[in-house]
Amino acid sequence: MLLLCLTSIFLTGCWDRTEVNDLALILAAGIDKGENKNIELSAQIYIPGGSQGGQQSGMSNGSSSGQSFVRSAEGETIADAMARLQEELTREVFWGQNEVLIIGEKLAKAGISDEIDFWMRHSEPRIRADVFVSKGRSKTVLGAKPELERDAAKQLRKIVKTHIGVKVTVKDLSQMLSGESAPAVLPWVEKLPPSLMDKKKEIPIINGAAIFKEGKMVGRLDDKETRGILWPRNEIKSGMITISIDDENGYISLNLLRSHTELIPSIKNGQWSMHIKTNADLEVVQNTTILNLFNPKVIKKSEQKVADEIEQRERLAFSEVQEKLNSDIFDFANEFQRKYPQIWKQKKDEWNEIFPQVAVSFETKVKIKRNGLATGKHQRGVEQ
Amino acid sequence: MKFSGIWKKKKDHFQNIQLNESLDTLPKIPLHPELNQNIEVLKSAYKDCSDVVFREFSIGSSINAVLLYIDGLSNTEEVDQHVLKPLIQMKNHEHGAIFEKTKKEISVSDIKDIYSINDIFKQISIGNSIILIEKETKGISIGLPKWEKRSIMEPDAESVIRGPREGFIETLRVNTSLLRRKIRHPLLRMKQMDIGRYTETQVIVAYIEGIANSTLVDEVTSRLKRIKIDGILESGYIEEMIVDHPFSPFSQVLTTERPDVASACLLEGRVVILIDGTPITLIAPCTFASLMQAPEDYYNQFYISTLIRWLRYIFFFIALLAPSAYVAILTFHQEMLPTTLLLTIAQSREQIPFPALIEAFIMEITFEALREAGVRLPKQVGAAVSIVGALVIGQAATAAGLVSSPMVMVVAITGVASFLMPRYATGISIRILRFPIMIFSGMLGLLGVMIGITAIVAHMCTLKSFGVPYFNSTAPLKIQNLKDVLIRAPWWAMDTRPEFSSKDTSNLRRQSSNLKPGPSKGGGES
Repeated sequence: MLLLCLTSIFLTGCWDRTEVNDLALILAAGIDKGENKNIELSAQIYIPGGSQGGQQSGMSNGSSSGQSFVRSAEGETIADAMARLQEELTREVFWGQNEVLIIGEKLAKAGISDEIDFWMRHSEPRIRADVFVSKGRSKTVLGAKPELERDAAKQLRKIVKTHIGVKVTVKDLSQMLSGESAPAVLPWVEKLPPSLMDKKKEIPIINGAAIFKEGKMVGRLDDKETRGILWPRNEIKSGMITISIDDENGYISLNLLRSHTELIPSIKNGQWSMHIKTNADLEVVQNTTILNLFNPKVIKKSEQKVADEIEQRERLAFSEVQEKLNSDIFDFANEFQRKYPQIWKQKKDEWNEIFPQVAVSFETKVKIKRNGLATGKHQRGVEQ
Repeated sequence: MKFSGIWKKKKDHFQNIQLNESLDTLPKIPLHPELNQNIEVLKSAYKDCSDVVFREFSIGSSINAVLLYIDGLSNTEEVDQHVLKPLIQMKNHEHGAIFEKTKKEISVSDIKDIYSINDIFKQISIGNSIILIEKETKGISIGLPKWEKRSIMEPDAESVIRGPREGFIETLRVNTSLLRRKIRHPLLRMKQMDIGRYTETQVIVAYIEGIANSTLVDEVTSRLKRIKIDGILESGYIEEMIVDHPFSPFSQVLTTERPDVASACLLEGRVVILIDGTPITLIAPCTFASLMQAPEDYYNQFYISTLIRWLRYIFFFIALLAPSAYVAILTFHQEMLPTTLLLTIAQSREQIPFPALIEAFIMEITFEALREAGVRLPKQVGAAVSIVGALVIGQAATAAGLVSSPMVMVVAITGVASFLMPRYATGISIRILRFPIMIFSGMLGLLGVMIGITAIVAHMCTLKSFGVPYFNSTAPLKIQNLKDVLIRAPWWAMDTRPEFSSKDTSNLRRQSSNLKPGPSKGGGES
């Protein structure tokens, strides 16, 4: 009896056992629009071998960058394309380590909701993978060979970790798409302009963001505007703000230490408005003016100036997103829904018309916490 | 247990005795007044025993007597000096009171009267010399034993940096003296019994009355009395016959070679079983927590002791689970590893022909073999084996593409982890259990590992050592008693004894409660 139990456990258990040697590890995936409504799935697959095992492997592989290859297949759905892809590979496709998903521009413009479903529904791919939209075809991005990182996937993942642009995972994207009017924002991948490199190479970088509405890409923001949308989204983690004070020559550069943004919705007399309250702490890292930063008046002035700068950035982003693209990527809908559930129920369907009309007001409180170590006074004092 | 051989009395003539049974069951044979009869019986009993010496002599050159001892066990010089010489030179030749006179002449402290042949067997075997006198039905046993013994050395298996350097040796009396020197109170009891039909091994049950639970002492004694065996050569014989769960891979009796550990256990209310002929003593009851305690824990500062104790708990799991977790993750749950790590592993595994499970088995078995070879071989060869082994495991196997380097790493960590267990026996149970868990993990992945852990924990929860649960004070939980399990509380805070000690309410506390040192306490003026 005991033997029977044991054997039944062991006999049923072995079926999904796979050795690492039999896996094709997918590091990054890209989806593009193929021919005839088809989806083209490109996968960057890791090549584990290459050297003769043992001791030498560690050394020889350090320099070689060709450790992965890109293979693509077309299909009616992603799953179909994946099955085709599998036909071309000797090893079992393994999505468990896929950390990057790149969507081609064309597909993004046609709509991505159906494709995201695969990433959410299938059990293997990570829902914490980062999603990007690439200019042009995603396959070309996957094939890029950056200098510093192992491959394009790692490159993009590292860039996005710095929080200079938006960072969106599959899970975030899915949440955004399920919201009212399905607004979404994804980081926009471009090639690094050749003028900034010594050698001609294709290196993907993040430059701005793609804005989605109803699951379709409707436009894109440049880098500066993207920085602007980070403030109300409460995603800004680091940043440098440079200000100049009225009559002075030179600039003061400040480093962002921490910031917090609050969205306060209100509906008065049928007028929907949103108050954006930002608190930011900064430190001075460079001062090229002759102003003495130990003077409280100067500090006050600088703080005001920084607040203006931040608001200006936010306004810039809002004018683009709210008025032109009409995509609620700041999730105002959610805020209104929470505060005014009754009104929201009635007006839900009109949100597309309401959103561009929402009056946005800003309140920014800036505190300069540190002036830096150098007083910077004596040199300039002598000159005077 | 029948007594088949009998004394056949035929006109005051003894036949050969048949000694094929335990001496305890032999009927008592009183000494015969006729000296020659006794000698004949003894000579027939010790037939072909070249080491038994019968020295016949005359007390005061008129009364026949015989001195009887085992060569090599008795101190013959002393016997000659203090027994034989004065007796031979004795002047008084009266017969009647000769026995008392003789005793007076012998200037030895340890002398006993003996009344039967059985007593002679016992006394002579522990190195005493016997004197039998013509026309007397009593004999004299002279306690002048002497045999070669090892000097007291630091035990190799349980060495400490801070702590006493002495260890038990093979001689029982020396061991009891080591204990008695540490615990001087007369309530330290040492019950003696002889176990083993042929070896007649002396076994001592030591405990402190009032601290040890009396039912525990009775239980230990009765379990020991049950043992009927040809011989006890080592404490392992006894251990296997007194444990509660004979098939469990976990040791249910503590063992130690250190008198300080034995004394500490006595003071905790445990019972120590000392066995003649081995330096290893047994301690009961045993709990899982006590297997994780090293003697030095109590001598070092409590912070470091607590930290090291935690290190041991962690490495207990590593020793048990590292290879199986590696196998499980690598064959079932590749998504659990960080990408970079998986890529590195994939790279090193690319040339390996075996599945991860087989690879793990090869390495673990090789490691066990090398360890065994290292222990068994003479010291000079052992070093060579370990060098070759390190090369084989560490380099050659990886270079040859038989095993991957991460696997070597895992096996090495496992090996180190199992050496970290303070008691050798714990390491053994981990080594045994590692393999079934590895098979489980190879079949079912982490689910299999969990099944394995669950089975082991369930088994450990059912274990009892002399009525004390194996997870005593953890399950059932007693917060008060965790002070010596999760942490090693400072001595001034460890004021109560373990739960299983005596329930005598007048003697519950180990020490008075206000012992924490401070500026206002103790010291000269304050």
